[in-house]
Amino acid sequence: MTISRRVFVKSGGLALVSLGLDPLFLNRAAYALRRPAPSSAVLVCLFQRGAVDGLNMIVPHGEPLYYRERPRIAIPAKDVVDLDGHFGLHPSLAPLKALWDNKSLAAIHAIGSPDSTRSHFDAQDYMESGTPGVKSTSDGWLNRYCRHDQEHAETAFRAVAFGPQLPRILAGTSPALAIDDLQAFGLRVPQEAARDKLTRAFEELYEGAATGLLASSSQEGFAAIQVLKRVNPAQYQPANGAEYPPGRFGRSMLQIAQLIKAGVGLEIAFADLGGWDTHVNQGSSDGQLAARLRELGLGLAAFAQDLGDGMRNVVVLTMSEFGRTIAENGNSGTDHGHATAMLALGGPVNGGTVLGRWPGLDPASRFEGRDVSVTTDFRDLFGEVLARHLGAQDLATVFPGFTPNPQRFPGAIRS
Amino acid sequence: MLRPTVSRLVGWAVSAVICFAAYPPNRLTAQGLTPRDSALHALNRLAYGPRPGEVDSVARLGVMRWIESQLAFERVPDDRLAQRERGFKLLDYGREELAQRYGAALRERRQMQREMAERGDTSRPRGAGPMREFRELGGELQQLAVVRATLSERQLREVMVDFWANHFNVFVGKGADRFLTPSYIEQTIRPNALGRFEDLLIATAKSPAMLFYLDNAQSIAPGASPPVLARRIRPGTAPRAPRGINENYARELLELHTLGVDGGYTQQDVIAVARIFTGWGIDRPQQGAGFAFHEWAHDHREKQVLGVRIKEEGMDEGIRLLKLLANQHATMHHVSRKLCARFVSDEPPDGCVDAAVDAWHRSNGDIRAVLRAIFTSPDFWAPQAQRAKVKTPLEFVVSAVRAAGAEPDSTLRLAQVVGRLGQPLYLQAAPTGYPETQAQWVNSGALLGRMNAAVALAAGRLPGASVNLDDVVSATDDHAGLVDAVNARLLGGTMSAHTRSVILRQISDVKDPTQARTLAVGLALGGPEFQKQ
Repeated sequence: MTISRRVFVKSGGLALVSLGLDPLFLNRAAYALRRPAPSSAVLVCLFQRGAVDGLNMIVPHGEPLYYRERPRIAIPAKDVVDLDGHFGLHPSLAPLKALWDNKSLAAIHAIGSPDSTRSHFDAQDYMESGTPGVKSTSDGWLNRYCRHDQEHAETAFRAVAFGPQLPRILAGTSPALAIDDLQAFGLRVPQEAARDKLTRAFEELYEGAATGLLASSSQEGFAAIQVLKRVNPAQYQPANGAEYPPGRFGRSMLQIAQLIKAGVGLEIAFADLGGWDTHVNQGSSDGQLAARLRELGLGLAAFAQDLGDGMRNVVVLTMSEFGRTIAENGNSGTDHGHATAMLALGGPVNGGTVLGRWPGLDPASRFEGRDVSVTTDFRDLFGEVLARHLGAQDLATVFPGFTPNPQRFPGAIRS
Repeated sequence: MLRPTVSRLVGWAVSAVICFAAYPPNRLTAQGLTPRDSALHALNRLAYGPRPGEVDSVARLGVMRWIESQLAFERVPDDRLAQRERGFKLLDYGREELAQRYGAALRERRQMQREMAERGDTSRPRGAGPMREFRELGGELQQLAVVRATLSERQLREVMVDFWANHFNVFVGKGADRFLTPSYIEQTIRPNALGRFEDLLIATAKSPAMLFYLDNAQSIAPGASPPVLARRIRPGTAPRAPRGINENYARELLELHTLGVDGGYTQQDVIAVARIFTGWGIDRPQQGAGFAFHEWAHDHREKQVLGVRIKEEGMDEGIRLLKLLANQHATMHHVSRKLCARFVSDEPPDGCVDAAVDAWHRSNGDIRAVLRAIFTSPDFWAPQAQRAKVKTPLEFVVSAVRAAGAEPDSTLRLAQVVGRLGQPLYLQAAPTGYPETQAQWVNSGALLGRMNAAVALAAGRLPGASVNLDDVVSATDDHAGLVDAVNARLLGGTMSAHTRSVILRQISDVKDPTQARTLAVGLALGGPEFQKQ
């Protein structure tokens, strides 16, 4: 139904053109009509840059080898938050247990790239371009999805990355916003009246003299400013007593929740969390990794609590470029490995299970004798979420050179 | 040491005495351009935009004569830039020294991580010693590019350095490229930017920065192993599986650097090229990470590329192949088209591309001859090409600073502004480099960023720029006169009637002449006309 509405709007716009109406008016009118329903599906992608240790995030506490290989950094069985008798959450992720229990949280284990690189740079690049092994891909898979699925394309807030720059995953020809902080988006003038005046002046300049991409992009920008004025990010209060953890990640999650609730047409959100490259003193139930996971767990739990019923249309997906060695190293840390674990959270998620085929830790099944083998190509998970959650039709254009096969989908989205 | 020596500069000057053919005198007038229009167009494309008064001075000199002088850049004095360059410590360090400093920074980082982990501190380590110093050197690398683009009198050369550094992209954020990139720019790109394409191609192929960036340094013949076991195997970890050839450099060499994606090569060619370059590697970083050919790693079997048999000649196979590639028609077309996309329009017409390819054939790949063919082609001067391109963030920032008669200050902040607007220099991870087309640069957030930067620059608040608008436009109560002066001095006369009326209306209630000027300049530089070149 939504599709036919949009088709109607688009053809309606064409009809207006043929009547010879003022183009500025036409643009405005079409823009106003094209606002999508606020109930659209949302995908939030979180990139754990630096390669998270999947084995200490989703702990295979049922495997004696896990404890044998990690005498100093394994999570003691008594601390693990058990999920299914075999796997359990790192204790820092305890705030997510309730979401596991209500079946809105799933983990996908032994997932990763078919490319064997252990370079952060290359592996992040491949995970964001969506083309493992091919370096010359210039755009990211989330951007290709946006280009291929044009239904939301006209809203300024369709695809938003929280951070100073647009990440590789959203780079490309489809419009996407990079927002460091919602409160600072727009023209930087301290007094509101002066800011409005300057904004209006630039808006007039671009309306009258810009053409092509400059015209459409500036229009999106000023529309976004208008929307944010209404949303008023400075005044936001999380609902249901949700408390976001302090720091950049918590603030990004809060602002994503805010945009979702404001109904501004957000479909794709992206945020980064760093600090996962734990070569030295990784820690166990406490320590370095525990602190990073605590921030992740608290941020995700607060987000779900804040959105409440709104989570029914939202899927949050975590990703990381690769996993870490099964054995701990000489510095009580772990080195670059192969497969890792990812989390999927939200109403549409087939929660309460650890998905993917678990290859085990025994040396015969390891990758190059040392790492967890990849049994799920990350594109099968990303492709499933795009197809089953966002309704993407043509995954082959989003993941060129890869033929997505629903039979290989890990089953992260409820059918 | 990275600084070019005096003798090398003299060498360039001597070797660069080039005779220019007389240009058809009526070509420009035939295109209906006034001398000022053509001067502005040339300054927008061959330079980072005009400084106040420069449109007039180039028009007086004659635009073709100015273009000739830019092509023969060695004869253009550039003393002020030379003076500014002395402030860059980076240029005093050679590769070996940078490698050592990088090593020291890494050691400090590891030490801090260890200490912080013990305290349970998970913030990012920000060391105050070698780490900080190395971070500043990285900032200097970016800032140096911005300072040169802003201040150099040899503008076309700086534009071409940017073009080639982008065409032969490396990523300064990848491991050893943190200390290899400065010498890549100084010794690989800059000396060859207006030389012969073949020399530039060979220089990049042999550069440690590229060998590391595209992994060729790890590419070894299947089954080969070093004569002495260099790596001690850590107890408890399995030995690494023997590595084989790595195709990354081979693929990008064909697809991006030379033939182009439709250049008619096959996967078999990629593999053969990768085998030819086995053994092209890097010395140990402690010794400065120079180029080294490792005989033991080389694949000695015969190869065939593009139907040409390459017989066993060790390292010379690679040189032979690079010469072969540099002289392929597909390479000439691919690179010429990209040059035309930079200088003419995002989708360049065939005419200028063909002219460039012809000149390439005739001159054996002399970059100056190719550029001259583009700058004298009717497509370059066609009305459709005027202000047809959107500026990149680097072009926007530098051209705005130049237009406002401003200068980069002694901090590293102006390069950070360029980064925040979306083009952090040398930090494009993908080997494609930054695209030559507008779609990458124009998005709503980025445009708002440009408006903010323009307003800040006009108010003297742009980080990293020192401005004195009095030298450019005087503050006056005569608002119409003010806006006309802003149009003439900063926009080269391109202001539309609409923009003029909007700015006049905006400043109509501003009493203070200085504030009115600030607002007029901010709106002009942040407005749509100035985003184009």
